[in-house]
Amino acid sequence: MSKDQSTIHIVDDDPSFRTAVIRLLRAANYEVRGYASAGEFLSASADAAPGCVLLDLKMPGASGLDLQQSIANLAEPWPIIFLSGNGDIPASVRAMKAGAVDFLTKPVQREELLQAVERALERSASERQARSNLLETRRRYATLTPREREVLAHVISGKLNKQIAFRMGTTERTIKAHRGSMMDKLGLHSVAELTRMAQELGIEPIR
Amino acid sequence: MTLLVGPVDNAIGAGAERAKRVLMLFSESKYVPGNLLVEQGARDVLLNSGRSLEFYAEYLDAGRFPEEGYYRLFRAYLQQKYAQRPPDLVLAFLARKFELAGQLPAEFFPKSPVVFGALTEAEIPRARVGSDVTGVVQRLDIQGALRLILQVQPETQRIVVIGGAAPLDRLYLALAEKAASSFKEQVQFDFWTTLSVAEMRRNVALLPKRTCVLVTTVFRDAAGETFFPEQVVSWLVSSSSVPIYVPADPMIGSGAVGGKVAHLEAVGNRVGELAERVLDGAAAGSMAIEVRKNGVPMFDWRALQRWGISESRLPPGSIVRFRPPTMWQQYRWYMVGALIIFTLQGIMIAGLLLQRARRRRAEAELQRNRDQLAHVARVSTVGELTAAVAHELNQPLGAILSNAEAAEMFLKTEPPALDEVRDILADIRKDDQRASEVIRRMRSLLRKRELAPQAVEINAAVEEVLKLLSIGSAARQAMIDFERTAGLPRIWCDPVHFQQVLMNLLLNGVDASADLPQERQHLFVRAGHDGNEMMKISVSDRGRGIAADRLAKLFEPFFTTKSDGMGMGLSIARTIVEAHHGRIWAENNPDIGATFYFTMPIAKSNRS
Repeated sequence: MSKDQSTIHIVDDDPSFRTAVIRLLRAANYEVRGYASAGEFLSASADAAPGCVLLDLKMPGASGLDLQQSIANLAEPWPIIFLSGNGDIPASVRAMKAGAVDFLTKPVQREELLQAVERALERSASERQARSNLLETRRRYATLTPREREVLAHVISGKLNKQIAFRMGTTERTIKAHRGSMMDKLGLHSVAELTRMAQELGIEPIR
Repeated sequence: MTLLVGPVDNAIGAGAERAKRVLMLFSESKYVPGNLLVEQGARDVLLNSGRSLEFYAEYLDAGRFPEEGYYRLFRAYLQQKYAQRPPDLVLAFLARKFELAGQLPAEFFPKSPVVFGALTEAEIPRARVGSDVTGVVQRLDIQGALRLILQVQPETQRIVVIGGAAPLDRLYLALAEKAASSFKEQVQFDFWTTLSVAEMRRNVALLPKRTCVLVTTVFRDAAGETFFPEQVVSWLVSSSSVPIYVPADPMIGSGAVGGKVAHLEAVGNRVGELAERVLDGAAAGSMAIEVRKNGVPMFDWRALQRWGISESRLPPGSIVRFRPPTMWQQYRWYMVGALIIFTLQGIMIAGLLLQRARRRRAEAELQRNRDQLAHVARVSTVGELTAAVAHELNQPLGAILSNAEAAEMFLKTEPPALDEVRDILADIRKDDQRASEVIRRMRSLLRKRELAPQAVEINAAVEEVLKLLSIGSAARQAMIDFERTAGLPRIWCDPVHFQQVLMNLLLNGVDASADLPQERQHLFVRAGHDGNEMMKISVSDRGRGIAADRLAKLFEPFFTTKSDGMGMGLSIARTIVEAHHGRIWAENNPDIGATFYFTMPIAKSNRS
C-alpha cells in the first residue's frame, strides 16, 4: 500500500540513536513515531497507526524479544524489524523463528534499513488485506440461510444436485435455486472457489 | 703441711727431720668466734712459712666450766696425753685464766716455750709469766671506739653503751664510763647495764635518730643467761633502729657498723710471727711482750650502705670488710658469657635482617605475579566485556551513520534543509565524544596496572559495575537489584579490582539464572559491615543453590560448570580479595538460591 497510510514505530531506549533514525526515515518521507521502551509502545498500541515496528533488542524492562511476543498476541500485529547493538546469533535466530521480518545490526546503512522497512510495510499491507478479506468472507457467509449453508456443505462434498435433493428431501429445482442464491451472496463463480472459501472458514463437507 | 694426714709415727725415716709439734691451747671453747679468728691468723702465718708442722688443739672452755676441779682434771689430762709427745711450742689463746701463760711452762710442759695471745685489760708482766714465754696482749680501745663514732657520725647526739652483768662485762663497762667522761660535753651517754637481752632488743628498736649504740661485752645478762657476745650483737643488730658499734673484730659481720676494734686476726698473725722466731731457735724470753692498746678502724661495708655512711668519713687506713666484689670480679664469667650471647644475638639479628630483605623481595615478586594474574583475568574477562563494548560503541556509531545519511538527504532537498543539517552535525559531534569515552574506559580497564589501593565509595563502585552490565549481551536478561544502604564507610582497595570481583560474581549469577523462569531471574546485591574492620558485599540469586561438596571447590582454579568456561574467574577473584586481606566464600540461602560473599577492609580513616 502507499506510504501515506503506514507509520513506522521505532522502540529504542537510546535517545541519540532513536533521533537519528527518525530523522533519516522522515527525510525519506515516512511517518515515524518514537518510543523509549516496550511499555511505552504497548500502552500506545491501541491507537497506533498500522505500519511496522523497529525494535531494539536490549532495553531496560521488557526486552525486544518479549515485546515481539506481546505484539504477536495482538489482534492486528505489526511486522517487526530488529535493530541490535550486538549481533548475538542465538537471539537473532529466535527472533527470526518468531516471525520477524529482518534482524539488522547497528550501525545500519540507509539502503538496508529502507529495504527492510519497505518489505515490512508490504507485508503489513498484504496482511491487512488478507484480514479484511477474511472478515468480508465471514460476513457474507453469515448472510446465508441455514438451508443454503446445508446445500453448501453438500456441494463441497462433491454431490450432484440430484443427490443433494434426495438427501435434503426436496426437489432438484429447489436445490438449484438455493445453490444459485448462495453463490450470489458469496460472490463466487465456481465450485473450486467455493471449496477454497469453505476451507478458509473451516467448514466441513457433509458425507 | 696438712693435718689431713693422720698421726704419723715418730719414726718417719731415719735421718728425716721430725715435724715440729705445735700445741694450740684455747681458754674458751672451740667455736667462740674470737678463737676462730685468732687461730686463723696464727696458722696463716705458720703454714706459709714452709715448715713441716703438726698442730694440736685443746680447749679449756673455762667460760662455761670455771670450776677449779675441772681445771685440775684438764691439766692432768694434758700432762698424761702429751707425756710421750711433748709439744715443741705452745700457743696459748687466752680470754681468761691468764695465769695459764705462766703456768703452762711451769706446770704443764716445762720444756716448751709459750707464745700467747691474750685479750685482757689486765697487766701481764714478764715477771708473772716466766722466762720462756712471750706474747701479745690486746686491750679494748673503748676510748678510741667512742672517738671513732663521733668522727664517722658527727651528728650523733646520744650514745647508748650496752653491757652485760658478768664480772668481765662490768669491767669493760667501768672502762667505758671512764672513757665517756671525756666526751660528756659533746654527747649524752646512757648505760644499759641491768637489762636482759630480750629487754635490750626491745629497747634498741625504739631508739631515736642521732643515736648510736656501742656494745662492750655481754657474757651474761641481768636475767642470768650466758651468751657469746657476738651472738648478742647479731640479735641487737636485727632489732636496732640505729647503728651499732662493736669493740672487737669477731663481732663485725653480723650487721654492726664496725668500730675501733681489737683486731684479733692480727693478734693471731703476730703470735704466728713470734712462733716462727721461736721455732727458728730464738728464745721466747728475749722477745718483749707486746701490748696493743689501740684498736684498728674496721667496718662492715654492708652496714655502711645500710646507714648511709660514706666511706669518705672513715679514717685513713680503715679496713672495710664484706665489700662485695666488683661487677667484673664477681660476675666475670657471666659477663663473658653475656658478651658471647650478645655477639651471637647480633649475628642472628643480622641474619634475620638479611632474611627480611630477601622476603621483601620475594613478596614484591609475588605481588608482581598477582598483578599479572589479575591482568590475565582482566583480559579473559574481555570476552565478557566485548558484548558491553560492542553495544556501547554501536549506539553512537549507529546514530552517527543514520544522522549522516539523513543529512545527505536533507542537503538534496530544494531548498536544502540547513537547519536540520546543523542539528545533525551537533548530534554527530556528541555521539563521537560518547564513543571516545567508551574506548577510554575500556582501555583503562584493560591496562595492566599495579594494585593502587584507595578509599572507594562502595555504592558508587557497585553502580558503575551495574551500569556496565546492564548493557551486556542480549542473552543475559536477569535483573539485578542493588539494595542500596546509605552512609557506608569507604573501603580501602583498588577500585578496578573491586569492580572485577563484583562483575565476576554478577556474571556468574546471571549465567546461572539464564534458564530459570523469568520471576526467578533476580540477583540481589547488598553491602554491609562484617565486624569492625571489614565491609561485606554479597550477591544473591534465586536459583537452584550450590551442591554442598562444591561450595569450597568453587574458588579453585579450573573449576567450572560451563562447557565453554575456563574456570579462572572465581579463583582470580579469590586471589584479588585475599590480596586485600579479605575473604570470599559462598553459602546456600536458607530459602532459595545461593549467595556469594566477599569482604574488603574499611579505609583506616573511616574506622570507628
